[in-house]
Amino acid sequence: MSDHPLYEDLSTRRLTWLRFKRHKLALMSGGFLIFIYLIAIFCEFFAPYEPNWRNPKAIFAPPQEFHFFEANGNFQFRPFVYGYTLRINPETWVREYTEDTSQKHPIYFFSKGQKYQFWNLFTARHHFITTAKGQYLHIFGTDKLGRDIFSRIVYGARISLSLGLIGVVLTLVLGVLIGGLAGYLGGRTDNLIQRLIEVLQSIPTLPLWMALSAAVPVHWSPLGVYFSIIVILSFIQWTGLARVVRGRFLALREEDFVIAARLLGASQLRIITRHLLPSFMSHIITTATLAIPGMILAETALSFLGVGLRAPVVSWGVLLQQAQNFQVIVLTPWLLIPGIFVILVVIAFNLLGDGLRDAADPYGGHQL
Amino acid sequence: MLAVTPAQKTPHEKQFLRLSLWAAGLLSITTGLWFATSTAAEIDPSIWPTSWLTRAQTASELQIKVFHEPPFLQQQVKNGELPPVMDRLPLDPMVLEPTTTNGTYGGTARIFESDWNMFNPVENPLTIDPTVAHIFPNTIKEWEISNEGRTITFKLRTGIKWSNGEPLDADDFIFFHRHQILNPELTPVPDPRWIGSKSEKIDDLTFRYHFNEPFPLLINLMAQLGDYYVTPSDYMRQFHPDFVNREALIKKIRQEGYISWMAYYNAIRLWTRNQPPLMPTLRPFQLIKRTATHKLYDRNAYYAKIDSLGQQLPYIDQISAEIIENQDVLAAKAATGQVDFAAFELKTQDFPLFKLGEKTAGIQVLVWNRLHGSDVIIEPNLNIKDKLLRAVFNDIRFRKALSVAINRDEMNSIIYFNKGVPRQPTVIPTSRFFEPEFASAYTQYDPTQAGTWLNEMNLIDRDEDGFRDYANGDKLTITLEFLDFETPKNITLELVTSYWREVGLDIRLKEVDPALQTSRATAGLMQMTVWHADRTTDILFPFQPMWYVPMHIGWEESHWNDWATYYLSQGLRGEKPPADIIQLQTWWHELARSTDPERVTELGKKILRSTAENLWTIGMIGLAPQPVIVSKRLKNVTLQGYWGWDNRWTMPYHPATWYLEK
Repeated sequence: MSDHPLYEDLSTRRLTWLRFKRHKLALMSGGFLIFIYLIAIFCEFFAPYEPNWRNPKAIFAPPQEFHFFEANGNFQFRPFVYGYTLRINPETWVREYTEDTSQKHPIYFFSKGQKYQFWNLFTARHHFITTAKGQYLHIFGTDKLGRDIFSRIVYGARISLSLGLIGVVLTLVLGVLIGGLAGYLGGRTDNLIQRLIEVLQSIPTLPLWMALSAAVPVHWSPLGVYFSIIVILSFIQWTGLARVVRGRFLALREEDFVIAARLLGASQLRIITRHLLPSFMSHIITTATLAIPGMILAETALSFLGVGLRAPVVSWGVLLQQAQNFQVIVLTPWLLIPGIFVILVVIAFNLLGDGLRDAADPYGGHQL
Repeated sequence: MLAVTPAQKTPHEKQFLRLSLWAAGLLSITTGLWFATSTAAEIDPSIWPTSWLTRAQTASELQIKVFHEPPFLQQQVKNGELPPVMDRLPLDPMVLEPTTTNGTYGGTARIFESDWNMFNPVENPLTIDPTVAHIFPNTIKEWEISNEGRTITFKLRTGIKWSNGEPLDADDFIFFHRHQILNPELTPVPDPRWIGSKSEKIDDLTFRYHFNEPFPLLINLMAQLGDYYVTPSDYMRQFHPDFVNREALIKKIRQEGYISWMAYYNAIRLWTRNQPPLMPTLRPFQLIKRTATHKLYDRNAYYAKIDSLGQQLPYIDQISAEIIENQDVLAAKAATGQVDFAAFELKTQDFPLFKLGEKTAGIQVLVWNRLHGSDVIIEPNLNIKDKLLRAVFNDIRFRKALSVAINRDEMNSIIYFNKGVPRQPTVIPTSRFFEPEFASAYTQYDPTQAGTWLNEMNLIDRDEDGFRDYANGDKLTITLEFLDFETPKNITLELVTSYWREVGLDIRLKEVDPALQTSRATAGLMQMTVWHADRTTDILFPFQPMWYVPMHIGWEESHWNDWATYYLSQGLRGEKPPADIIQLQTWWHELARSTDPERVTELGKKILRSTAENLWTIGMIGLAPQPVIVSKRLKNVTLQGYWGWDNRWTMPYHPATWYLEK
């Protein structure tokens, strides 16, 4: 106890942080998410290639192995991969790729590679990881058209992860606004909104999503489709949050500290911003964090079913859609790698949400 | 070797042979060239039994006197429910030679429902030889073309019966003609060739058609599509208001959920999935039972052919056909040996999977040769309502740019393991209408040239979004709607869009279902669609050059419906085409009526040259390998064959001779 100041002396923010830090898994998840969001934000830089660039020399090529030792045993500090030799087996019609030890493709970091438009702002050439011109690097292999899976995952991260975030923000706005209105006004309005939520929640989500996204016109630009998918997903998701917000509002309205503030003559605005919001903001953040993976999974599901985002937009769902057949499992299992990223991100968000929930209420539960 | 040498030639037949060989193609000259020009895409005919290359011989010609009852039917015969085999077979049944050996009876073959036309092929009045160049007699024994092609007389074999035991006779053909094709309710817009035609019954087995204009191509039609031109009249009468009370019929049909008697009639009459069980057929197998997921076929007790031991065909007793919509599931099931035969929905790029099945599941993967001139042809809608887009599509430079922007060699390597042929949609190399430049026109990959042509058209990226825009600044985007069916369309189009993006064209893909494809294509609403270029042989090209001449409206094409309507309605409806299109229609009009083989070849080549020069449609890869999966126990399937609509896939290779080894 002597090393630690008394927790009563600490600010709420500091307490929350201390409590959150104790949740090691949540901490790690947070770190992982920051890392992967950074990659998503700077995906042009992290991906060695454009997502739709095709390497005709590598159709359905397996992942390349990193080497430090050459075939003759020479060590070199700079990692390298070997190029493929392709042979279509006349018996099995399988494209057989073998490492061609005469083709050494050294890997360069922070070096010049394929040209790209960074955030549509300026043209750049530097990549986090790249090879010399005419050489290639496929960390996770390639797909049926020879596109680099790793690059596609990195670009797909931007779409899938941002879609989760933007979707949740939209959900929050809708949920807090409508739920708050219901909780604050009560009576008929509350009744009406509650029944509306029940109707919306009673519709099976998947068919509804499918119907709505099938209604997205085919000639819309990829960006238009992207935002329409977000709207469609948020359209259902806000209901849960609105319920929670309304419940909190109703409950907090009658809490002692709110009554006390009111009796002390605090204005309506001060009560809401100073007393009501802080006490359930933590809760909302937690709910939102837990809702993001739901969004990501929903987008993945829609795209997997072929009614979500459309090529040439690359999202993790679009990538998984290509991997949904038997052939992939038998012959080209590396096409399933995007699934691993979906799983990791969803788990990370859930663990983070878990940690946040504990940390959000630093005065409750067990002591430090 | 291919000089058709029937054992006995009647004068009618001699005349037919002279007349039909031009229509059917490959005279002895081309036969001589066969091996000289042989490429990987052609099959050496010596792999087939020699008897397949001539017309089928009959029991009397082969001295077969005793016919054997299939064990499957013995009990029914004993109970008196079925007449004995002698009475069920025709007077002098045709004899089929199997590829290896005469089979043994029995067994239930497992197939996918999508292969029902392949395992149980049509029994047309005339038939096509394995090289898809000749027409042979089948249920029709003799025919005569007279009056410069205006009169055609057919004579049926004696004693052929439908699967319900009713005889196949002249009435069945007359019924089709008078009550179907000339019935204004059932056929509101008949093929102009049938307008004003007359049919005449001479005796029970002989009938004659008279046409206003010569219609020698009816022979090709009888061989390829002939099952459509004959109706089990005794059975179908009950659904036709010419024979039953109209009100009672409509009441009955409403209960079945159809809006009109015509809709019902067509649904059960055409070779659709809706065919009712026990509908009379001439095919080897007869549909007995249908559920939502399965179809069960029994052997047709009245099937009219035998093997050289006098055993009535087919050998197999039953077919169990599973209805599977998902192509990936289908491929997986086929690869793991869960069916005895699969081919129709299998895709070339899945060959490695199937080959793996050879090792693990004991299946055999045969490589047949697809007859498609191009597996995917792109059809820009030259009659689209949108004025800007229409002007672009009708500019030859645009179509040429679309074509040379495609890297066909890369496509061939990615999808076809380099086993296809980059080409425009045109006839197969063995056709007498073929010239190499028809296939090779504008197939060289040259994106720079494509860019030059597009720039010349003033289609330039004006808003710097990476895509070309119209001269007035509007965005140029093209929606390509397609049905992913029969050939690898999805992956091909994915590649095509990426090639076109590289030259700055914004293409959006949209997959549609068969109903939508039919309604939108026939209404000419699609900006662009695709199909596979079948009708590439001497059998069907002269009859239906639909990729090359606006003369047809269907779900296959959407590129010039208004011009086709103009032609089909003789100028009453649709839109008057420009002079070069009228020229095409005039050429074909003459071709279809000509009985002069040299003139026909000349006209056919003119039409194909026009397509090569104008790229009415754009081809990709043709003459590709078709996977055909055969289980370990299914025997007698020929190792190689031509695969396509032109020869009804398996019809010349006699699936009735396939058997299941115990």
